[in-house]
Parts: sequence; C-alpha cells; structure tokens
Amino acid sequence: MSWILIAMILALLIPIYEACKDENIWQKMLAFASIASKTAMISLFVSVLRDDWMLGAVAVIILSVGNAGLMLLAHVIKRVSQA
Amino acid sequence: MINPLVNLFSYGCIGIGLLFWFWGTAFLPSRRSVLFKLHMLSIADTLGSMAILLGLLLKRPQEWPLLVLAIISLAIWNTVLGYVLAYCSTTEATHD
Repeated sequence: MSWILIAMILALLIPIYEACKDENIWQKMLAFASIASKTAMISLFVSVLRDDWMLGAVAVIILSVGNAGLMLLAHVIKRVSQA
Repeated sequence: MINPLVNLFSYGCIGIGLLFWFWGTAFLPSRRSVLFKLHMLSIADTLGSMAILLGLLLKRPQEWPLLVLAIISLAIWNTVLGYVLAYCSTTEATHD
C-alpha cells in the first residue's frame, strides 16, 4: 500500500511544479485546486492505512470547506481584474 | 473466497484512480488553455479520486459513513469549483 502512497505523492508534485512555474493567475488557480483535492485524498488514504479516523475527518473537511475558499478567491480575482 | 476477490477489486479501483490522476494531471504543465486543463483536471481529480475512495471503501467497509461523505462532498464541491473557475476565468465579453 505504501507504493500507492508514493505514487500519489508523485502525482501531487506535478501541480506543485505547475503552480511555481506558471505566471497566469488562472493556471495557478487550477494548480492550487488540484493540489487541494490531491492532498485531501492523500490524507484520507493515510487515515485508512493508519486506521486513524480523526485524520479522515480532517480530510473530508478539507474536501468540502477548502474548495469553498478557492471559489471565493476566484470571484475576488475576477472582480479585481474587472476593476 | 470473497476476501481475495474484494482485495483484488479494491486494488483495481485504486489503480484506475491513480491512472486517472496521472493522465489528467500530465496536461497541467502543457501550453493548453485554462478550460482544456480544467476539463482534464475535473476528470483526474473528481473521477480519479472517487475511484480511489471506492477502493478504500472496499478495504474498510466498517468506515462507510466517513468515506461515503468524502465521495459525496468530493463530487459536489469539485464539480462546483470547476464551474466557478470556468466562469471566472473566461473573458468578461462572453458573459456581460
């Protein structure tokens, strides 16, 4: 199971690289959205490995509340670019 | 007899999920448009993550409330986030 975790972390590195490299704000937002859901999935996976369900609850909270934050940020960026 | 079969199916789901992850995320560093990448990411992050969660659900059926909640919130919020990002990132001329 740990090789699956290593593969997931490798998949997480791609959006981190993209977020550092790209200048366009929307490409960066895409990368951050991908990082958010991947990290939540990795922590949910670790919670299954360790049978520690407090970690699982945190991952589910990240999945729902974290995306809401990104949505608000997208609207703020849109308003700033309109002004 | 069932346990090896369930184990095999759960690893299969996790493998498919990982495949979607790598396939959808591989487009991220490319020079494509935001909407194209958004479409690829919604496949990778939403469908791939749900396949991984299905694999985890088969591994730990006694924790089904938390994992089903994760699947539902993943399906709803990733889809809505994709819509908001698509709406906000497209130029103003097409909307007003």
